[in-house]
Amino acid sequence: MAEQFVGKASEFKDGERQIIRIGEDEIGVFRHAGEFYAYSNFCLHQGGPACEGLTIARVIEPLREDKTSMGLHFHETDMNFVCPWHGYEYDMKTGAHIADPRVKLRKYDVVRKGDEVYVVA
Amino acid sequence: MSSPKALSRAPVKGKTDGAKPAVGKTVASKPSAKKPAKAAVSDDASPTPAQKAAFLKAMAAGVKLNTAASRSLVKKKGSPFAAEAPKPTPKVEVLRRIPAPVKVVDTPESKTALALAALIEASIDARELGKVQPHAQQALVAALCKLYAAHAEAGERFDILGQRAATVAATDVMVMCGALLKAVDLQVFELGMWQSWSSG
Repeated sequence: MAEQFVGKASEFKDGERQIIRIGEDEIGVFRHAGEFYAYSNFCLHQGGPACEGLTIARVIEPLREDKTSMGLHFHETDMNFVCPWHGYEYDMKTGAHIADPRVKLRKYDVVRKGDEVYVVA
Repeated sequence: MSSPKALSRAPVKGKTDGAKPAVGKTVASKPSAKKPAKAAVSDDASPTPAQKAAFLKAMAAGVKLNTAASRSLVKKKGSPFAAEAPKPTPKVEVLRRIPAPVKVVDTPESKTALALAALIEASIDARELGKVQPHAQQALVAALCKLYAAHAEAGERFDILGQRAATVAATDVMVMCGALLKAVDLQVFELGMWQSWSSG
């Protein structure tokens, strides 16, 4: 495992993504709310490009005290990304599948040294 | 004490059940005429390191270097790839750059509309449906209908709900569409005809 230079943080706008290849691993590097996240670009469902689909706020369904639905709403902070092949949805911060958190994309550590961003792979 | 000759003596036919092979040694019995294959291999005999190495070499035959198959073999103890396979040097290659979603321009009117939308949603959550009276809803729906159509006619087509489609139930959409068609005295088949004639 070695730190691989990916790019400069100043050139990486918030909300932007990069799909990179390190050796034989294809990795999606996200910048969301100032933080960097890196996950394997192979969807756990059927190997689709998991990191290249829609990014969308988590949809939640709050309940009233009597357990009736208040309808569907977007979460204010939690963001997900969706595999474009069949809609497998993953949490941006953990890479865990939304419906079954036991299922997780391989996560790569991202190290920031000043303005430089490295992925440990 | 028995002599070395007696120890190395071949087991008497019919009394072989008690005889155990030495640990780490292969069981090599003479092939008999009745059971040639089964007599040669014992079920619980573990392979020797030499046998393991030979097996790995056989597995490695035809496997190309720097492939997933070769890497899985490198990890195995005694693999012929362990020494031979050169370590791949990782190199970052940028395949694609996906830009951030386009930032919306917030005009004062848009801000007012967003605040109004939030207020309406809050009233639904609180089950205070009387907060926005029907005449106000009629004015809103009519204005939004005209605004969307004007944009479409000007060629500025966009998703009517965008990502908010995830928060609107399909039933709500059908109820609203049905009510809109009824309000202007349109039948569903007329909508179908219009859609088949136009690109809308």
